[in-house]
Amino acid sequence: MSARRRVAAGLLAAGLALGGLATAGLPAFYESFLYIIFSWIALATSWSLLSGYAGYFSFGHGAFFGAGMYTTATLTTALGLPFLATLPVAGVVAAALGAGIGAVVFRVKRLRGELFGLLTLAVGFVLATIVLNTRIDGGPGVYLSAVPLPRLLSSPTGTLYLLGLALALATVAAAYVIAHSRLGLGLYAIHDDEDVAELEGVPTLSYKLIAFALSAGIAGVAGGIHAMYVSYVTVGETFSITVPLYVVLMSVLGGARHWLGPAVGATIIAASLYTFTGGQQAVLGRAAVAFVLILVILLLPEGVVPAALARWRRWRPHPLEIFTTAASTPAPAAPAVALTCENVWRAFGGIQALRGVSLSVEPGEIVGLVGPNGSGKTTLINVISGYYAADRGRVVLGAEVLTDRPAHEIAGLGVSRTHQIPRPFAHFTALDNVALAATFGATRLTPGQARAEARDWLEFTGLGRRAAALPHELNLHERKFLELARALAGRPRVILLDEVLSGLNPAEIAGAVRLIQEIRGRGVAVLFVEHLMRAVLELCDRVVVLNEGTVIATGSPHEAMRAERVVEVYLGKAHVVA
Amino acid sequence: MLEVRHLAIAYGGAPAVWDATLEVGEREVVSVIGPNGSGKSTLVNTIAGLLRAHSGELRFDGVDLGAVPSHLVCRQGIALVPEGRRLFMRMSVEENLEMGCYRGEARRARTTTLERVYRLFPILRERRRQLAGSLSGGQQQMVAIGRALMALPRLLLLDEPSLGLAPAVVDQMFEIIRAINGEGVAILLVEQNVVRALEIAARAYVLEEGRTVADGPPAILRQQSRIREAYLGLRDGGDVNP
Repeated sequence: MSARRRVAAGLLAAGLALGGLATAGLPAFYESFLYIIFSWIALATSWSLLSGYAGYFSFGHGAFFGAGMYTTATLTTALGLPFLATLPVAGVVAAALGAGIGAVVFRVKRLRGELFGLLTLAVGFVLATIVLNTRIDGGPGVYLSAVPLPRLLSSPTGTLYLLGLALALATVAAAYVIAHSRLGLGLYAIHDDEDVAELEGVPTLSYKLIAFALSAGIAGVAGGIHAMYVSYVTVGETFSITVPLYVVLMSVLGGARHWLGPAVGATIIAASLYTFTGGQQAVLGRAAVAFVLILVILLLPEGVVPAALARWRRWRPHPLEIFTTAASTPAPAAPAVALTCENVWRAFGGIQALRGVSLSVEPGEIVGLVGPNGSGKTTLINVISGYYAADRGRVVLGAEVLTDRPAHEIAGLGVSRTHQIPRPFAHFTALDNVALAATFGATRLTPGQARAEARDWLEFTGLGRRAAALPHELNLHERKFLELARALAGRPRVILLDEVLSGLNPAEIAGAVRLIQEIRGRGVAVLFVEHLMRAVLELCDRVVVLNEGTVIATGSPHEAMRAERVVEVYLGKAHVVA
Repeated sequence: MLEVRHLAIAYGGAPAVWDATLEVGEREVVSVIGPNGSGKSTLVNTIAGLLRAHSGELRFDGVDLGAVPSHLVCRQGIALVPEGRRLFMRMSVEENLEMGCYRGEARRARTTTLERVYRLFPILRERRRQLAGSLSGGQQQMVAIGRALMALPRLLLLDEPSLGLAPAVVDQMFEIIRAINGEGVAILLVEQNVVRALEIAARAYVLEEGRTVADGPPAILRQQSRIREAYLGLRDGGDVNP
């Protein structure tokens, strides 16, 4: 049975068992106890879709939950709509709120990390103030006790129980499907390094918006159901800090990156909290729960579910996969074309990094880009790959103008790059790092095909045996080659190599030089930034020398390296030229 | 001055160095070469006190460094210039330099030492108010070396000082290393640019898979065909040229 079927069967079995339990006539106390757990499962799991997967820690989940509560409260009491009909509306209102906030916030690069958390926290306060001071609430709160509750089961609590169960199961199923889809892969990549994800072809803005809208929408539906459960909705209770803090705690405890983690965390915390609700032992009991939580988070920082899975795998190790595929080396995904930069300018504050750079790289050609540190080489690569916009001038690939396109589109057109200091996705194995590029690069493969192809690229770069290793387990030499494998996996038409050889010793360099020659042999256009003159002379058909953002020499390597100006500003002495 | 005997160091759970043995004498320049992942950085980080050895001997002037808390190793007279420079990017050049003499004797001497650093690197005096993050790669490397010198070391550990630098700046960097050595500071150099590393050193060690497998004067190491092939990328008869 495939993993996907096993999960589907598991969720279905849980649904039937828990649903059957209610029809068999569970005491009302247990129905509402379990409903609370389901509600927390839906909330924590939905929170993790954006905050766990993509790493955008939100403290605003209470706002979407509250938006859903007040939508249902208002529609049922003021407009007399039937309760069930208000639930989709609650979801849509909350999702629109989330998407609206995201559409503004996600465009500002600075608003990552703590700032995003603070901003979402503020959303809850703003919403509470609006609700409190308008006719939505107005101060005294909204009573829903007169709203008719459809009887799905004999008791009213039974109905809420079933609705909560359905929402929790649907949310967990959605979390599973997303985690194993293209969307999930992109979100995980955003978590590890958003800039690199965009450069590898992940449409980061739209992915974050989808995740945010979905996450907020589910919280809205949960809020709608909960309005009926509490039947008296007040601003103070609804927008308290409880929901935003608990969902974080639950997800982190269970493992926010894993689809099942938040559900497990929610069950543990909700169950232990509501076990101690009354009497003298309540305070002591909660203190004990808090103490245990601190211990668990200290000992299992990745969360309960990932830790348990790691232990399980150690007991039952997977058989080692032996790669039998010959390292086939596919050609670029699209016909070869030339890359041209025309009069490219770019400034940072007062510093003019590029002053009208023009150059071109033909298919199957290696053009060396050399020059002193700070002369603008990396800036040019950043402009070509779309990480920076050009102030003036344009970059053209065949018939397509690349200037002003987002970086993920440029990657999709067949431009890939490496980073001077390797930037692998830290939580992805070597194989998955490469597979991500094959999923989002010019090839647009499905995640399954991409993994198969990623193996070939790992073999090609000599990393076949390290496929299962995480980046921190690789040494610099291997991380450099992982960069190269990842750049190749999108089957680019143009590849921008930013100092791939630095930090390698002469013998390792010889191996890398042979690889680059093979890449060129496949009709790829190569722009090669490097300080290592021996490799530049050996590999490059032409050389472009930059100094202070201007091209000061071009020509065959030997010509360019002999130019007086180049020797003066860059080489120091002419000893390099053989 | 520095004696390392049969040192074994685990890093991230797996042993990275099994059996490293080397010595650095007063005013000496010693290079360590070896493939990526052979444990060179782990070794210098351990000498600097950032990692702990789990067996073997590590002595500086006869003092067992294993018994010295890491933040006090620099007071023994050892300073590290880490791989990739690791500057405080949002601090100015001068603030970065002052972080090198955080306490003790070095702090009292800071005006004189600062003057010495600016004499070695005149460009840093010009840029002393500039943020470290806005400097070019070569200038950042100068700040990293300057910061280490502020601790008044008698032994300077350099981890890949030429990484990512333009050829002219690499030349300059090796001249600077020679100048620092000329002021009486011993140097332990880890460098992938094997040609240069052998040029500047009086003695060199070869570290492979965490073990010291060869040592001696560069002239003799350069003759060994295995080293010519594995580290200099030369078949016999080839020419040693950077």
